[in-house]
Amino acid sequence: MRKLFLIFLFFNQLYAELILEITQGTDDPYRVAILPFSGDTEMSEELESIIKNNLNRSGEFETFGEEELLSSPSSEEEIVFNDFKILNIDYLVMGSIAGGDVIYNVFDISKSSKIRTSTVFGIPNKNRQLAHYISDGIYEEITGLKGISSTRILYVTENEKFNLVVADADGKNEQILLESNEPIISPVWSPDSKRVAYVSFETGMAKVFIQNIGTGEREVVIENSSQISSPAWSPDGKFLSLTLYQDGNAEIYILNLRNKNLTRLTNHYSIDTESSWSPRGSKIMFTSGRSGSPQLYEIDLRRFNSKPKRITFEGNYNAKGSYMPDNQGIVFVHRSESEFKIAMKYFDENFIRPLTISQMDESPSISPNGNVIVYAIKDGNKGLLAGVTLSGAKFKLPASNGAVREPAWSGYLR
Amino acid sequence: MRFLRSNFSFLVAILFLASCSSMNVTEETVNANNVKTVKASQMMDENITYDSQAVFANATIYFDFDKTNLTSKSLQTLKSVAEALNENSQLRVTLAGHADERGTREYNLALGQRRAEAVSQYLILNGVSKNRLVVKSFGEEKPIAFGQDEESYSKNRRVEIN
Repeated sequence: MRKLFLIFLFFNQLYAELILEITQGTDDPYRVAILPFSGDTEMSEELESIIKNNLNRSGEFETFGEEELLSSPSSEEEIVFNDFKILNIDYLVMGSIAGGDVIYNVFDISKSSKIRTSTVFGIPNKNRQLAHYISDGIYEEITGLKGISSTRILYVTENEKFNLVVADADGKNEQILLESNEPIISPVWSPDSKRVAYVSFETGMAKVFIQNIGTGEREVVIENSSQISSPAWSPDGKFLSLTLYQDGNAEIYILNLRNKNLTRLTNHYSIDTESSWSPRGSKIMFTSGRSGSPQLYEIDLRRFNSKPKRITFEGNYNAKGSYMPDNQGIVFVHRSESEFKIAMKYFDENFIRPLTISQMDESPSISPNGNVIVYAIKDGNKGLLAGVTLSGAKFKLPASNGAVREPAWSGYLR
Repeated sequence: MRFLRSNFSFLVAILFLASCSSMNVTEETVNANNVKTVKASQMMDENITYDSQAVFANATIYFDFDKTNLTSKSLQTLKSVAEALNENSQLRVTLAGHADERGTREYNLALGQRRAEAVSQYLILNGVSKNRLVVKSFGEEKPIAFGQDEESYSKNRRVEIN
């Protein structure tokens, strides 16, 4: 019988919560002072702490609280910009809470001027979410990039059972989407981040399922007696590329999710798998063994019968590629000597840039703003998640118990 | 119906179980080929009828890193498996391919599948009907050895026949 059940847990799920530790920040972070929000001391403390953690975790910020500053103005008029200039503070954030809503302002110290005023409307008991929105506003104002604090990460944990888990980008607010006695691999998000697809071995064989995060409803994508794996959503959400084994060999197909029609994309006696779509959906990249070792190839979907074009040449193992959201390059798993690292290649460069330094790195997933890559590492025998920003900051997200792997970053949720 | 000869040298496990109460199936050995086997005890009662017995052909085939071809050792083992299957035409087997943990999970799933397909093709070429074989892969998801060294890796790169 099927040894599997679904759990619908939305909030306050205490389970193997991820603990965040920053291992290396950038050399020249933005220095930001965060003052208490007036109007509600208790809520202010909670917001300040989450916002500071969010900004610090990005590796691009160093935050300062009231106790580390020379003055603590309670209104805009009371700000003495020199008090902040002396401490080399770049930006100041202050605001107020009224009826659960938050108004916050960001000041550019060097210009002695206000650069942003925003109001965030609160939802009862969701201060954490509110703090993430504020963090994203501050991040975007200062860096020019959209913030990712209010995004989520999907991952697999193994602790006697296999769990598919979703959590906030800071590792908090975990929710178990699926618990199974059999392995779960290759989780991915739908473009609207409302559904996930993954491979489950619960029937004794790899099968791809789609599950609605809000309702818990799920379905197997194709009724087929052979193995199916490696799902990837097209950017418009209408298609799912998959690896089918019905031809006695791994081949990539595109499934039309509306009418369930399958179109075969690859046709080669070697392995073709790990498909991913370019940001506009015009190309599919995949791993193929056709050259004798795993390498990344691309197929142009705009051209009829377009031949796969090899795009990696350095080293004898380049696999599981994904496109950067700005379509400037790709991120993938690269073997250098006997070590597996996460690497990156810009399309206008003809060399690979290794991003990580450990030996068994895999499953890279890129944040929707393109700035952070989360991936799985092995620390001894234990799997955990780590991240690296394009500016060079690094962090780890070890679970308090069990092994964690295969992270997948959601899109923007707003 | 013929049954297991006690001097079956490759120790492909053909395991007589179920209704056969007078038979002790206990001795578990690992021979030089690293083929894990279960050898039927030689204390067999000649008078048993074997018609209703469950019969299994269990063996494990090992592979080199990132390789899917059968080694000469594997071929010896598979020869015995094919014989066992041909002698027991009701027998159906699952060929489950596995990979070591190095490399990406989906590529390893495909690699395990190719290993299982290689075994399947050998058996088909040696007279076993395709519809008696279920071919699948678990990739790197079900290791049997947990070290991060070649000794463990080599045990995990396998096809389990059972």
